[in-house]
Amino acid sequence: MNRLRTIFLAPSAAFTVILFLIPLSIIVAYSFLTRGVYGGVVGPWTLENYQRLFDPLYGIILWRSLVMSTLATILCLVIAFPLALFIARASDRAKGIYLYLVILPFWTSFLVRTYAWMFLLRDTGFINTILTSLHIIREPLPLLYNETAVVVGLVYGYLPFAVLPLFSNLDRLDKNLLESAADLGATPWQTLYKVIIPLCAPGLRAAGVLVFIPCLGAYLTPDLLGGGKSIMIGNLIQNQFTTARDWPFGSAISLALMALVMVLLVSLLRQDGEEAL
Amino acid sequence: MKTRRQALATIAALTSCAKPNKNRLNVFNWSAYVAPETIPNFEKEFGCKVRYSIYESNEEMLARVFSGNSGWDVVFPTHYIVPPMREQNLLAELDKSKLPNLPNLDPAFQHPISDPDLNHSVPYMWNATGILYNKKVNPAPTRWADLWLPHWKGHLTMLDDPAEVFAAALRKLGYSLNSRDEKELRAAQREAVNQKPLLRAYLNTEVRDQAVAGDVLGAQIWSTTAQQAIEANKDLAFVYPAEGFPLNLDCAVILRESPRQDLAHQFVNYLLRPEVSARIADSMRTATANGAARPLLAPETRNNPTLYPPPEVMARAEWFTTVTPEAQRLRDRLWTEIKSA
Repeated sequence: MNRLRTIFLAPSAAFTVILFLIPLSIIVAYSFLTRGVYGGVVGPWTLENYQRLFDPLYGIILWRSLVMSTLATILCLVIAFPLALFIARASDRAKGIYLYLVILPFWTSFLVRTYAWMFLLRDTGFINTILTSLHIIREPLPLLYNETAVVVGLVYGYLPFAVLPLFSNLDRLDKNLLESAADLGATPWQTLYKVIIPLCAPGLRAAGVLVFIPCLGAYLTPDLLGGGKSIMIGNLIQNQFTTARDWPFGSAISLALMALVMVLLVSLLRQDGEEAL
Repeated sequence: MKTRRQALATIAALTSCAKPNKNRLNVFNWSAYVAPETIPNFEKEFGCKVRYSIYESNEEMLARVFSGNSGWDVVFPTHYIVPPMREQNLLAELDKSKLPNLPNLDPAFQHPISDPDLNHSVPYMWNATGILYNKKVNPAPTRWADLWLPHWKGHLTMLDDPAEVFAAALRKLGYSLNSRDEKELRAAQREAVNQKPLLRAYLNTEVRDQAVAGDVLGAQIWSTTAQQAIEANKDLAFVYPAEGFPLNLDCAVILRESPRQDLAHQFVNYLLRPEVSARIADSMRTATANGAARPLLAPETRNNPTLYPPPEVMARAEWFTTVTPEAQRLRDRLWTEIKSA
């Protein structure tokens, strides 16, 4: 039995060690080294990369990333909740189809889908062409290359991550509780606010975390839809490994970002634990 | 270091050389930089296979070949990347007896600033940076300073490349585009920040389609990309700014790690043939550094003022030089400030 367990767990353990632990250790080591003249890392060991993190310039970028990720997360939850509720209330057959549709975008690469958004949003793009040909607007709206476009792109990209945990939460919701609420005179809105949402708190939190974390590290969306005008922390990291050729500093930012995410996760898990008690 | 390299080389040898591939040349080049038949013809003539792969930036290529056991034989760094690669011992010394076609090079590129005696690099294709604009813009831009005029608002793009943006701002201020001086670089950074409200975005080659579609009316862009846009939309034009402009020269180099030095030299020499080079330049709309290839080009390419500007324009060109690590770090910080402004 024990041996069987070892055998079956070995692939995932190997996977974790090779693809997660080893690269992570390399990043940790890099973050304490000095940048090579033309990329790469050299000695001596130093803490300087971490000291540089406290530069207010990077604080501004972190703050912007936090604001935009929070905004995208809230929008995702607001859009995903009714959708998840709708799917959870559908017949079993329809549920399968709807869930299938939610994950359908994953069939194509995120990069390609982001480019599709560029075609939708640009001056001579789909939306502006329709609006101008209907004479609703005369000059094309500046939809692409601003922070709104970035948030729209983030919401679009991570919406399925919000729908799925909310659905599984709402799907398991005991219908008797809703009926009791109605029997006891609660209006549908009251049932929603006083029964469904509190019971869905774990699902909402899970959905929020699943959207917020990738948003915080996003670099493709701000780059393509933001036109490189307002960089997020992901772009800062990417830049260190490309044009700036400062791998140690890039590693230090990555680790600092990971630490921040961990703190957020742990505090959320604590909350979950307290509620369970 | 050496032992680690050897160990890695052994692992690489064990994993990648299951089949004998002695006769396979590994070429890592920029995208859209050979004609469709360039590689097949070489394979046929020299009885070998070519593994051909592409990259989009010098950094991407550097990250791969830096280890010294990347498995590539021939790569194409831009000229200012050649000295650092040489210092890092990545480049093989060229055996000029195996490159009889070397004199085909245009005299202007026989002694590039980065490698004056062509000991490690062979100039391949080149381009320069200027302004692509829509002819309906009035007045038409002639200088970098014109890119700071308010009439562009929302329809202007700059390259998403710190060296290029600094080059434009530095030239506008009358400084060398390779400036290492902190005061000058800071002044250039302020210029870039002042210009930012006018900008639609920082875009590289992606700007081509938007300039063709008319979304973008003015763009700082490379001559080769501009040429592609102009061919797609006759309302577009290109100008080499009056203050001076940067030159980029992509060069073929042979990596020291390559165990196929002979075949690699044959390949580089093959690329230096006038007809091969002309075919590449014609089909990819690039500017060849091969002087002997010029007469063989299609007439509309040969006399194209965007791809091959006349000598009086070329007199204003300035080579990018390799940036020192300190200047690089300052530039990066200032670039981050521009981007987060």
